[in-house]
Amino acid sequence: MMKRFLFFLTFGLLVALAFWVSLGREEDAAAASSSLIAQLSAPNTAGFAQALVPGAVQFPRDLGPHPDYQTEWWYYTGHLQTAEGRLFGYQLTFFRSALLPQTLFDPGQGGSAWRTNQVYLAHFALSDIQAREFYAEEQFSRGAAALAGAQAQPYQVWLNHWRAEQVGPGQVRLYAQGEQMELDVRLTETRPPVLHGDQGLSVKGGEPGNASYYYSLIGLETVGTVTVNGQPFAITGLSWKDHEYSTSALSPGAVGWDWYSLQFDNGYALMFFQIRREDGRLEPYSSGSWIDPQGNITHLTLADWQMTPVQFWRSPVSRGEYPIGWRIRIPTIGLELDGGALMPNQELTVSTTYWEGVSAFTGTLNGEPVTARGYVEMTGYAP
Amino acid sequence: MSLLPLYRTAWRRIRRRPLQYLLFILGVAIGVAMMVSIDLANGSAQRAFQLSTDAVTGKTTHRLVAGSVGLDEAIYTRLRRELGYTQSAPVVEGYVRVPEMGEQPYRLLGIDPFAEPPFRTYLGQDLRNEALTPFLAQANSVILSTDLAARFGLELGDSLTLDNSGVLTQAVIVALVSPGDGNEARAMGSLIFTDVATAQEVLALPGRLSHIDLILNDDAPLMAIEAILPEGVRVELAAARGNAIQQMSAAFTLNLTALSLLALVVGMFLIYNTVTFSVIQRRPLFGVLRCLGVTGGQLFTLILGEAFLLSLIGSILGVGLGVVLGQGMVRLVTQTINDFYFVVTVQEVAVPAAALVKGVLIGVAAALLASLMPAIEAMRTAPTSNLQRSALESKTRRFIPWLLAAWAVLVVIGSFLLALRGVSLIITFAGLFTVLIAFALLTAPVTMWLMERVAPLVGALFGPIGRMAPRDIVRSLSRTSVAIAALMTAVSVIVGVSIMIGSFRQTVVTWLDSTLQADLFISPPTLTASRNVGTLQPEVIAIASGWPGVAATATVRSVMVNVPDLGRDVELRAVAGDVTRGGRQYAWTDNQPDLWARFIAGEGVMLSEPLLLKENLDTPPPPITLVTDQGPQTFPVLAVYYDYSSDQGSLMIGDPLYRQWWADEAVSSMALLVVDGVDVDAMVLALQAELAPVQELSISSNQGIRQGSLEIFDRTFAITAALRLLATMVAFIGVLSALLSLQLERTRELGVLRATGMSLRQMWQMVLLETGLMGTLAGLLAMPTGYVLAWILIYIINVRSFGWTLMMDLRPQYFLQALMVAVVSALLAGIYPSLRLGNMVVASAIRQE
Repeated sequence: MMKRFLFFLTFGLLVALAFWVSLGREEDAAAASSSLIAQLSAPNTAGFAQALVPGAVQFPRDLGPHPDYQTEWWYYTGHLQTAEGRLFGYQLTFFRSALLPQTLFDPGQGGSAWRTNQVYLAHFALSDIQAREFYAEEQFSRGAAALAGAQAQPYQVWLNHWRAEQVGPGQVRLYAQGEQMELDVRLTETRPPVLHGDQGLSVKGGEPGNASYYYSLIGLETVGTVTVNGQPFAITGLSWKDHEYSTSALSPGAVGWDWYSLQFDNGYALMFFQIRREDGRLEPYSSGSWIDPQGNITHLTLADWQMTPVQFWRSPVSRGEYPIGWRIRIPTIGLELDGGALMPNQELTVSTTYWEGVSAFTGTLNGEPVTARGYVEMTGYAP
Repeated sequence: MSLLPLYRTAWRRIRRRPLQYLLFILGVAIGVAMMVSIDLANGSAQRAFQLSTDAVTGKTTHRLVAGSVGLDEAIYTRLRRELGYTQSAPVVEGYVRVPEMGEQPYRLLGIDPFAEPPFRTYLGQDLRNEALTPFLAQANSVILSTDLAARFGLELGDSLTLDNSGVLTQAVIVALVSPGDGNEARAMGSLIFTDVATAQEVLALPGRLSHIDLILNDDAPLMAIEAILPEGVRVELAAARGNAIQQMSAAFTLNLTALSLLALVVGMFLIYNTVTFSVIQRRPLFGVLRCLGVTGGQLFTLILGEAFLLSLIGSILGVGLGVVLGQGMVRLVTQTINDFYFVVTVQEVAVPAAALVKGVLIGVAAALLASLMPAIEAMRTAPTSNLQRSALESKTRRFIPWLLAAWAVLVVIGSFLLALRGVSLIITFAGLFTVLIAFALLTAPVTMWLMERVAPLVGALFGPIGRMAPRDIVRSLSRTSVAIAALMTAVSVIVGVSIMIGSFRQTVVTWLDSTLQADLFISPPTLTASRNVGTLQPEVIAIASGWPGVAATATVRSVMVNVPDLGRDVELRAVAGDVTRGGRQYAWTDNQPDLWARFIAGEGVMLSEPLLLKENLDTPPPPITLVTDQGPQTFPVLAVYYDYSSDQGSLMIGDPLYRQWWADEAVSSMALLVVDGVDVDAMVLALQAELAPVQELSISSNQGIRQGSLEIFDRTFAITAALRLLATMVAFIGVLSALLSLQLERTRELGVLRATGMSLRQMWQMVLLETGLMGTLAGLLAMPTGYVLAWILIYIINVRSFGWTLMMDLRPQYFLQALMVAVVSALLAGIYPSLRLGNMVVASAIRQE
């Protein structure tokens, strides 16, 4: 998954926001984001570790943080539903960013537990499909004084009281609470991790090191409670976790990207991302993975798929126009799908603006009818 | 009838006698100027404090606070990780000096930029990514306001030295911010921002937070928060702290205001005098006017109108002068506030319109009040009454029994007001003023009585002139007595304040002598004179204790603790060893043997006298409850000790007992007792050399610290001395104006005398004898009045304002000085009229006949 753009944008804005205070001042935010994008076209990556070697990802070690790399995220999304069939979607993401390479970071002699070069950001969003309500919040923290952090064993990622923590073998509890919503679920692993790209090395551009280590845990059986405006709902569902870490710059000319994750009713799964460029074309290094029920992975490249937006929605907040209906054709694996967002407004307007939402697809795989639960992310649409 | 001709006559008179009116204006101006300058100085200091408090408080509604060393940082982590309470922000703050930015202290504010947005807005919108990285990830990065940096010629990337009690840290400016709003910009002028991590390190607060700021809009989260708080940590309202701190200096500022009002009271005598005089002089005119149909009411309006206009001019001038004086006063006031109360940096003298309007209003009101009696007098001038002055003089004499009665009544009222306990200090000061005015009323009867008695004596000395002078004074009693009263009041203020300051100083000297028995004192340099906020490095204690020639050591740990019963924090001094070598003086003890041994053994605590007196505690004092790190604990009180270092009160506790209840290992300062025969000064130098690499310290001998304490004392009273001087000036102008009028009025009389053979020399003699007599009389009367004033200041005002009992220390020089001032100013005031009368042409002087 390729959320670097979002990630950088968010982190840039986080700086602004931390000091900027008035969340309502839009001209400031706009000014900041433009200055940050300018900065990002030539980011300083010197001194950070880079993703270079296929097959480097190991478990459980690499469940934890990689402070040598500039950026990292743990990304949970999922479809949830009550016994009565009421649908919810959720997103809980933890981002980590190193302000300085470990080698340049001097914690000083004073020994304060607060000094750090690691900064965390988390996003929590909930889609209430029946009520057609979307809730999103974010939190920031330094990765010190135990306020935010991550560890491999026992696996834990947290920012304030939002957290993903291992509660048993292959079991992780997610907890997050916002002003109007709360998520408290247990995810159980059912399948081995999926290593994207070349054994976990996901190449993003032509330059060496312009890549990430990227794996997913899919088919996560989900049980727990969602609370909306004080009303609790017992839910079950299916979640998808991404974990990606890298030190790499955006290729010049990138303006945004789209990311799709689909879990099929017959055990197949699909992930692909496409980077959109200024000139209206797609970045050739856009890629994807096709996972069969046994866990075998077929690497997909841009040439393999055709993706056509068929329906659009304009955000009343950001004025950005997002595609919310899609036609997907992947002839190499015999897949034909049509789908769309379960509700149009799933746009997060926190320190950065993007669309990340619960979606559904139907179609045929090699002529057999299939359905899939999807989560789609779209960035760079808001003006 | 049009009033115009009436005002024309008034204007003509002003033109004929401009000097009198100029002095009137000057008197009002100086009185108002003093009041305004003190008002502005107080106001500016308070406002500067308020601004910096407001800026630092921001939108905070509540705070989690603990003792002096703050609270455990883990509480913040629990707050966020267990409760998810993100409307919370950690703050580590303290005061540092920055040699690159002048002498004043700066507030080093350690914040977490991620937690800040809901709380404070001052960092504005100038920060970019490149500032955040060093701010968080590089030790000793600081942010200043653009204005502050510009004031000292500092730029982005420049280095600063942060001096926390002698421990120096080199910091780098990583960003400059420009807050928008004017108040914020002013507040930013005394703030240095840094990350929590750097603040912990620079301020030597490892693992601690000064406080945790919260925004709480309802009580539900508060209960959850309170549930996780360990003992010793409490929730307080954000507004409460600033108020409590400001309240500390309330008595001090009120005392200054009262002193400044004294000048106005003296000024009122002067105004009364001038107006009375102008009325008396115009009695014939008024008589004629009344015959012509001018009503009494019109005359009344005329007199008050004159007074109004003149006092308006005087007040406006006074306000202008006050603003200028205020610039100097604010430095003195700020110095004292910093020495004794709280750290404040005043960037500028705020001149609120309200203070100016108040100055003008009070100036005009005082003048109108003082003119009321003469105006009524003018109104009552009956057309049929004889037009002679003697009518008034005989009336004044008839008035004397009434004056005596009024004196008695005012003394009773004043005493009653002074005797009231537990009331506002303002009432006590009202009592003081009432007594002062009562004594002024006594001037006329005493003058008459005394002059009649001294006439033969002076006559014997100076012949006929000597007999004439006292009689002249009595004959013009309506004016002379007011002039004497004005001079007397002013001089009595000099006497009273001198005795008070002298007694205070002597008391402090005696107290220092008995308290400072150790030979050598080591402390970190501090920002406030009265309290040690820094701590000594453990290495310093080890080296000093083991130094050859050291017989014994005593240490003090000074912290603020919350006393729930008093609803505020009080300084707690944990002492090990006795710096007084058993010489400590107590205001009260429990009368059991071995007091000090029992105290060190932890049987109880001791209170300082100001704590007992200002908090109106009973004697013997009840056990006192302190919030320890393990929750509230009650300790019996063994004794009450004298302490003149703080008017906020303090507590002493034995070191072992302190360490038992508080998790604090630090030491604030230490004293060394040296074996006999060791050269202490040499030891100071040797220790300084040895300890300098460890920590910048203030190491002084007994003599040095004694001197330092007295310097602070003198500095504190510098403003009082300045006020005393101004009061003298007002008095002098008053006397000058009164005597001038008096003598000029006698032009005709003296002309007649000269025509009948009085020599120029005799005339000089007579004028100077008269003014000299008046001055002497004022000086003599000022002595008992000054004594009474001093008594009230020492035994009532000081005790109530500051809780200090002073031993009255009377010295002849206080009285002699006052007498000199009175006589000299009176004689000086006689010179100008004598010169004028000397130059007059006798014929023209008597032509009016």
